[in-house]
Amino acid sequence: MSILTSLRSTRILKLLPLVSALCILVGVAWLLLLPLDDYSRRTYISENALLPGQVHTYFGGSEQDVFRSYRHEVTALGKNASADGSGVMAEKIGGIFDAFGLKVGKQKFEYTAAGGVYAGENVYAVLQAPRGDATEALVLCAAWVNTEGELNESGVALVLALARYLKRWSLWSKDIIFLITSDSRAGPQAWVDAYHDLHAPPAVASLPLKSGAIQGVVVVDYPTSRGFESLHIVYDGINGQLPNLDLINTAVRIASGQMAIRTTLQEMWNHDNQYKDRLRTMLRGMVNQGLGHASGPHSSFIPYHIDAITLQAYGDGWHDEVTLGRTVESLFRSLNNLLEHFHQSFFFYLLMAERRFVSIGTYLPSAMLIAVNFTIAAIALWLKSGRQNTGEEEKSGDGRVSEEKRRLIESAGEAPSAAGQPVVVSEERLLLLSMAFVVAIHFLGFIPLYLFNNLDEKNFNSAFNIFTLLNIVLPSALCAIFTKSFAPTPLHFALIKCFSLLLLGMFLSALATLNFSLSFLIGVFSSPITFINPTPKRKWTVGTAWMILLQGLTPTTALVGVALYWGEPLSEILKEAAFGWRVWGMWTQVVVWCVWWPAWIIAGVQVAGSWAVEA
Amino acid sequence: MRLLSWPSITQLLLAPLVVGARASEYNDYSENLLLKSLPGNSILASFRFVSNGTFDSHHSVFPRSLAQILQQSQTKELHLKFTLGRWDAEQWGRQVWDGRTAGGTGVELWAWVEAADDSEADARWTTLNNALSGLFCASLNFIDSTRTIRPVMSFQPAGHHSPESLERLHLLHGTLPREPVCTENLTPFLKLLPCKGKAGISSLLDGHRLFDAQWQSMSIDVKPVCEESGKCQLQMEQTKPYAGGDSCFPLSGVTDLPWSLSEMFGRPIRGSCPLAVVPTEEATHVCVNIAEQRSIFVSQGSEERKKSPELRCFILHENLDFDIVLPELSPSTNILLTPPPVYASRSLTGHGQERGGIQAVLNNPSSNSTVEFVYLESLPWFMKPYLHTLSVTISVKANRNIVQDIYYRPALDRKRGTQLEVRLRVPPGETVLLNYEFEKAVLRYTEYPPDANRGFDIAPAIISILDPTSQKSTFSIRTTSLLLSLPTPDFSMPYNVIILTSTVMALAFGSIFNILVRRFVGADEVIGGSLISKIRGHIMAFAAKRRRVGGSKPKTE
Repeated sequence: MSILTSLRSTRILKLLPLVSALCILVGVAWLLLLPLDDYSRRTYISENALLPGQVHTYFGGSEQDVFRSYRHEVTALGKNASADGSGVMAEKIGGIFDAFGLKVGKQKFEYTAAGGVYAGENVYAVLQAPRGDATEALVLCAAWVNTEGELNESGVALVLALARYLKRWSLWSKDIIFLITSDSRAGPQAWVDAYHDLHAPPAVASLPLKSGAIQGVVVVDYPTSRGFESLHIVYDGINGQLPNLDLINTAVRIASGQMAIRTTLQEMWNHDNQYKDRLRTMLRGMVNQGLGHASGPHSSFIPYHIDAITLQAYGDGWHDEVTLGRTVESLFRSLNNLLEHFHQSFFFYLLMAERRFVSIGTYLPSAMLIAVNFTIAAIALWLKSGRQNTGEEEKSGDGRVSEEKRRLIESAGEAPSAAGQPVVVSEERLLLLSMAFVVAIHFLGFIPLYLFNNLDEKNFNSAFNIFTLLNIVLPSALCAIFTKSFAPTPLHFALIKCFSLLLLGMFLSALATLNFSLSFLIGVFSSPITFINPTPKRKWTVGTAWMILLQGLTPTTALVGVALYWGEPLSEILKEAAFGWRVWGMWTQVVVWCVWWPAWIIAGVQVAGSWAVEA
Repeated sequence: MRLLSWPSITQLLLAPLVVGARASEYNDYSENLLLKSLPGNSILASFRFVSNGTFDSHHSVFPRSLAQILQQSQTKELHLKFTLGRWDAEQWGRQVWDGRTAGGTGVELWAWVEAADDSEADARWTTLNNALSGLFCASLNFIDSTRTIRPVMSFQPAGHHSPESLERLHLLHGTLPREPVCTENLTPFLKLLPCKGKAGISSLLDGHRLFDAQWQSMSIDVKPVCEESGKCQLQMEQTKPYAGGDSCFPLSGVTDLPWSLSEMFGRPIRGSCPLAVVPTEEATHVCVNIAEQRSIFVSQGSEERKKSPELRCFILHENLDFDIVLPELSPSTNILLTPPPVYASRSLTGHGQERGGIQAVLNNPSSNSTVEFVYLESLPWFMKPYLHTLSVTISVKANRNIVQDIYYRPALDRKRGTQLEVRLRVPPGETVLLNYEFEKAVLRYTEYPPDANRGFDIAPAIISILDPTSQKSTFSIRTTSLLLSLPTPDFSMPYNVIILTSTVMALAFGSIFNILVRRFVGADEVIGGSLISKIRGHIMAFAAKRRRVGGSKPKTE
């Protein structure tokens, strides 16, 4: 009772915006603290069975000659052998696998997204574990063409050479699948979908040959024939899902500990393990996670609860294919030791250096605080909307504070009595119109969602420009229509904002547990929305300033920002998004268009309302 | 495979034993070894030991330990299989002995138990399992009601049973797909043999080499032949790893690698077992099934019998070691392989913790004959199939007569598993896809094994090929086992939660309870130990009571 009374008191209501602001500040500051030594932890191997780097590796010697011969074969076939529809690549690679005595399967696939056709043929071979019973499998994968569009000549040749080499060991407890996908984006997805029989025939063919449950995937990306300097470990999965931290730790430990290869993360080629570099690595990781796109062929495996990483050879250095081959060999020996599916270590983490991380328990409060700020603001608005009249009264007079204080002292001194009650005059809230407006705006989000996922890629640029222009005037236009048609009162505006913020807070806190980074980024981008005062008694200058600020924080601006960050044309980003929606099952767009964009539109309507209602 | 070229063995098995002919007891036991070369430089070594005897004889070669168990549990026919690895039918062709001697991965046991009713049969089955568990050092005692099924169509008794006794027989079948087969199972197996692995072909059975093989299966089949007889058989396949290819572009295996018995098994055969039957022209000790072109060298003291160009047999001398050496041969030679009647593979479909599906791909490689078989699934109770999702699709034509018959016994939670038998008929050259979906049950946390995150093994499906006229099973094939992942709690979390809540409970509850229950009294009101102080305490309490009644506040500290 006393809590309710105190919540209704104006003093608390005045405090709530401050609490909101504090939540945002603490949330952001929390994130910035994470790279410090006191808040992050050193990585460690949690699964004892892995025993990384405890075995001798024997790949080398004449295997290098074999490797080179395969590289000649791959180079001779050329980059286009996989995509030209002739099936030359699958034929040739399949023949090589077959010569080892491995069982070979091929899979044709074809996807259509944003008017483009993505077709190819995957080829794979299964090394059946001696004495094994086909219950578990590991995958060693190389894409014929890597994410940058280069021919993965050494990577494919290394998988072939390793297939031949690993076949001779009799110690495998799990089947090993050697997979050569025709590209890095659609091929792995087609293969892993078909492996779980969740593909859509006839566009994606079924697999003729299967093995057991996949326990781990290692992708090799080595597109040059020169030596490499460091090993770049890529781990982001689709929709921000991550592989088990043990897999990354094992790879880091084997590469740097056993093979003396420097490892890097998130394209931070020079990392001094100080605050600044740690923060940058973490933020890069968060951007990748928030965008939720596939960062490599491994990404498609992660939604199936299969832990996967890509090992990318980077730079020019003295490490050669044998070192990488031995790294993979040692990694597979470790994976082979696994008795259970990866489960010991973390699935939710932020890496800030190859041996430094924070786990979900430490970082989650930052996104949650930002999400909670919206909820607090919504609650404040709700309480305020119920006491509109008294609020008016209290606004006049400087003696308010002392009066308030006196009342508080009285209530503290005595048991809560009915004396304090009559001050709160509850007003009837006009819910229907406000709710209908909020729901309608949220449904409006399906229009851009549909549009950008189904348009042809040729029209992306013009569509985006038109949409951006519309987006600028849309809040004002909507506000004009709304005020003309329904003649809303300030209370309506307050309630609209209240519901909008309530939804935003709810969505973002739920999202924070699934994709922390996306929730955090959207939360930060939309944090000014909290402070837009729906009361339409403002100077037009303030309104304009708000409008300009809001226009700088739209989803469309963010899209342009992403395009600049990657240094790619905007149409490419939209194409990637449409492709992700069709092929990968990426749902970042849903969050952007159906959670963030409606909240932004409503904020714009609030600002526009400050002119409209006055006028 | 070469079963047809083994008329002698077949005959010997089925020959009715003359009971009570004690003079012929030495002849009750026979053993032979078949070595067959397989593609990919693999060798299949199939050991076969047959002992005949009666339960009541004290001098029989039939092992008494097994006989007593069978008598105690009233088991009339027993089949026990230990298998490790998978038989690669596409590469190695059909299994020897019509696949009847190989079980699915792990341990498989089925028996005909004589009993008046089901409950009695269950009790005897439990007795049998527990006894065999002790005898073979295997976890057979874990075959409880949830892992036992009563197949209807898949199995027929192989021995001779009178029609009256057949009515009282109950067929029970249990599997342990998780059971690793190792030397501790081999040792009791060898002890059942009269020569105990000291002489004869069983002297090759050394655990170190045996369990390095790609696939191996050990089976014990006991069946009555007019009276009682036992038959034990062990099959093993040993593979040589592929080596070579030092050239720049490696060539595929173009040569037949050399091998010898002592190289494969680590020792030669230590003469013949003196307790075995005297070998005849038909019943030889060791047979080698290799291509005609390959030359073969054997130790002195053995006699060769060439039964066909591809099958060379040898009779061993009792006291001389015997070894076979095959030199390298290039180009590679292969003997003709017969494909199995059906190629079968099975895999899990779908993903997630809630539901999944199973897909079995069944292919009839024959170009002219339709194959009819029973597909048997024995599923654990926590995997609940939806029978309405069972679909059978054929690659080309819409053939409606594929499914002939279905027998389905649904699972009961924690009591029994699902049994699904489907009789299918696959036209020549066709592939049939058998799909069904299932739901994963959530287990109680004590029901998870220690390595819960590994998943749960699902027993291999059993495919029994039926003879078109007699409808009896003539050939059997096992698929591989599957690994089913169930929703698994984070087992460290309950521990953390328990610790945390216990602490909170102890602190909060303890202090609040303490405040609520404790009576606060003044220091001068404390009742002391001695009588005087007790009396004084009573007086003080009385006084305090009066004061309270008087209206003033009680004094507390």
